[in-house]
Amino acid sequence: MSLRSFLYSTPIFLTVFLLQEAVVTQFRLPLGGFNLLLIVALIWAALSTPEIGALTGFGAGLAMDLSQSSSGPMGQWTLVMIIACYSVAFLGYGDDNIRANPINIVLLTTIGTVAARIVYLVLGILLGEEAGNLQSIFWSLAGTAFWTAIISPLLLKVISFIHANVFGLSSRI
Amino acid sequence: MRYGGDNRGRLLIIVLIVTSLFLITLDLRGVQVIDGLRTGTQTALTPVQKAGSWAISPLRNFLSDVTSLGRTRNKIEKLQAENDKLRLTLQNRKNADALLKQLNGVLDLAGTAGYKVVGAKVISHGSTTSYTQSITIDVGSNSGVRSNMTVLSGYGLVGVVKYVYPNSALVQLASDPAFRIGARIAGSQQIGILSGQGTRRGVLQLLDNRTQIRKGDVLLARGSQGGRPFVPGVPIGSVTDVDNSPGAVTQTADVKFYTNFSTLGVVAVVVSGEGTDPRDALVPPKPIPTPIPTVTVFVTPSPSPTN
Repeated sequence: MSLRSFLYSTPIFLTVFLLQEAVVTQFRLPLGGFNLLLIVALIWAALSTPEIGALTGFGAGLAMDLSQSSSGPMGQWTLVMIIACYSVAFLGYGDDNIRANPINIVLLTTIGTVAARIVYLVLGILLGEEAGNLQSIFWSLAGTAFWTAIISPLLLKVISFIHANVFGLSSRI
Repeated sequence: MRYGGDNRGRLLIIVLIVTSLFLITLDLRGVQVIDGLRTGTQTALTPVQKAGSWAISPLRNFLSDVTSLGRTRNKIEKLQAENDKLRLTLQNRKNADALLKQLNGVLDLAGTAGYKVVGAKVISHGSTTSYTQSITIDVGSNSGVRSNMTVLSGYGLVGVVKYVYPNSALVQLASDPAFRIGARIAGSQQIGILSGQGTRRGVLQLLDNRTQIRKGDVLLARGSQGGRPFVPGVPIGSVTDVDNSPGAVTQTADVKFYTNFSTLGVVAVVVSGEGTDPRDALVPPKPIPTPIPTVTVFVTPSPSPTN
């Protein structure tokens, strides 16, 4: 990842973070709504190499840790996002069956968000946080999956375009 | 071809994971720098969030209304029902206050005169019988009420009990055209017969044509033998107009009843007034005119301009 790519990526994720904090959190959506930064980071990672995916996860996770809606200690989301974004990037990288197919990227992103939240939950329990009852956890995860499946196809084209421009790649979805 | 990674990539992952674990450890140990970082971020984000909230609020409200349409309707219906209930309670409270005021008035009057009274609530205005001007009260023979007993309000005479039932009674109002009462003028003690006219005004016919009657004179009940149907001394009304026609056989006057019959809520039936005659003690006090404030303006002439 060149310095140029890093400089371009930072304001993009900063804007997404501000949109998440200032706009998305204002809506009282059913089933808990969605996290725009999480979805964008996972789509971005799915289009990138594993190293860039890990770095993306680190930056996005750091921002999510700074969010007022984050209840865990600083670094918890960072750790989860590094693992999640790296995993998504690792699964997609070099496999054209996944990367060239938007449905597969949406599926990968949806599974990635749910998995990230599950890992965050498990890590939180290990760190002594209250998790709530099973029913609420289930509905929250189901809501995450639902909203990610709705939102990510809408964002995919835009993120793919920006990603291609930032990294100077000619191939776009 | 599946990506296998290289040493540089693995090292990067390890560094990032160790950094995140380092951050977790610092935060759990309560390092001030981490708290300051979060506080600083929140401080910087607050204006953006406020702006976002302001910009999004119309859309958010719309979405909220759409998603909770059924609940909103239920809530509106519930609030409307609650509002109606509160309005009714307030109305009842106002009604109760008005009744209490009337009860205080009638008890004051009866207490001053020394009458033994039974308080009653007016449960019906008008009657299905032939009386055109009557009320039904919620006390009857079970409370010691008998026919031909005087009925009072806080201002004076209301009427007379005509029919008594176990738990209610029919009262003929003083405004009834068939109503007659012996009256005397407070002070001069001139006597006459007052008859109802179907309105709040009655007509007094003086028995002695040589006596003088003036506008504003107060009429009191003369009283009957044994205090029934009328106890003595009850204020009836005041003279509003006098007919002094030279050719008239008797002198007549128009009288306005003190009691407003259309707003009766609480009355009292005099169950024992025998032997008590308050004379003119129940004459209502004359209204004291409110002094008109005067304003004195001092004008100081300005000095004449000098050239």
